[in-house]
Amino acid sequence: MATPAQLGLQNATSPIMEELIAFHDHALMIIFLISSLVLYIMSLMLTTKLTHTSTMNAQEIEMIWTILPAIILIMIALPSLRILYMTDEFIKPYLTLKAIGHQWYWSYEYSDYEDLAFDSYIMPTYFLEPGEFRLLEVDNRTTLPMEADIRMLVSSHDVLHSWAVPSLGVKTDAIPGRLNQITLASMRPGLFYGQCSEICGSNHSFMPIVLEFIYFQDFEVWAS
Amino acid sequence: MASEVLAKPQMRGLLARRLRIHMVGAFLISLGVAALYKFGVAEPRKKAYADFYKNYSPEKDFEEMKKAGVFRSIK
Repeated sequence: MATPAQLGLQNATSPIMEELIAFHDHALMIIFLISSLVLYIMSLMLTTKLTHTSTMNAQEIEMIWTILPAIILIMIALPSLRILYMTDEFIKPYLTLKAIGHQWYWSYEYSDYEDLAFDSYIMPTYFLEPGEFRLLEVDNRTTLPMEADIRMLVSSHDVLHSWAVPSLGVKTDAIPGRLNQITLASMRPGLFYGQCSEICGSNHSFMPIVLEFIYFQDFEVWAS
Repeated sequence: MASEVLAKPQMRGLLARRLRIHMVGAFLISLGVAALYKFGVAEPRKKAYADFYKNYSPEKDFEEMKKAGVFRSIK
C-alpha cells in the first residue's frame, strides 16, 4: 500500500511490476532531459537583448530537431513494447478466478473449486483492529497462492469499475457484459492492497481490494 | 596628446556566437540531468531490488507474518 505523501510507485511484488518501474525510470529520465533542455533555452531567450529579424534558411536545424525526437521516441517505444508483449506471454495458470464489480463491492468466484465465492465489502472504520488501514481493509480478503501464475477474469454486474492492485502492476477495467483477462503472480507472501479505479458512483472510493498471498499448501487447505 | 585607438568591437554575429556557446551548454546540462537521474535514482533502485532478493527467504518472511497474525486465511 502507499505510505502518506508517497509520490512514486509502490514497491513491486511481481516481475512485471519490476519491469514497469524500470521503464518508468527510463521514461522519466527522458522527460527530465527534454524539460531541462527546454527550460534552459527559455531562460536564454528571456535574458538577451540580441535579436535576429531577417529571414533564415534553417535546413540543418530542422533536420536535427526532426531526427533527434524520432530517435528519442524509438528509445521509449522499444522497451514499452517489450513489456507489453511480456504481459501477454502465454502461461498456464495454476488458478482462475473471477472478480466482479458491483456498486459498491467486489465479488470473487473461484470456479476451480466448488462453492467458493464471496463478496468483499470495505471494512467500516469503526470495525478496524489496531494496525489495520482505514479505507483499505475488507471483510473477506482474496486469498491466493504465491509464486504461481493466476488468471483473473474481471467483469462487472452494473456500471464500469476497475480492478487495480498497484504493487502487482495490475489494472483491468470491469465492463458489464465483458470478461477481461489479466495474469497475476506474486513473488512474496503478504497483503497487497488496491482500490477501484473507475468512477462508479458515490462509494467509488470505498470498494478496496485486498489480496492475501500464502503458500499454495495453505491455500489448498483454505480453499477446501 | 595622441589618443589611443581602441580595438574595433565585434559588431556582428553576437547572437550566433551566444547561441553556439549556449546550445552546447544546454545539451551538456540536459544530458547531465539525465545522467544524474539515471545514476542517482534508477541504478540505485535496480541495485536495491537485486540486493533485497539476493538473500530473501519467502519461507522466513511467511513464518514471521504468520506469527504476527497477518493472515486471516491461516489459523
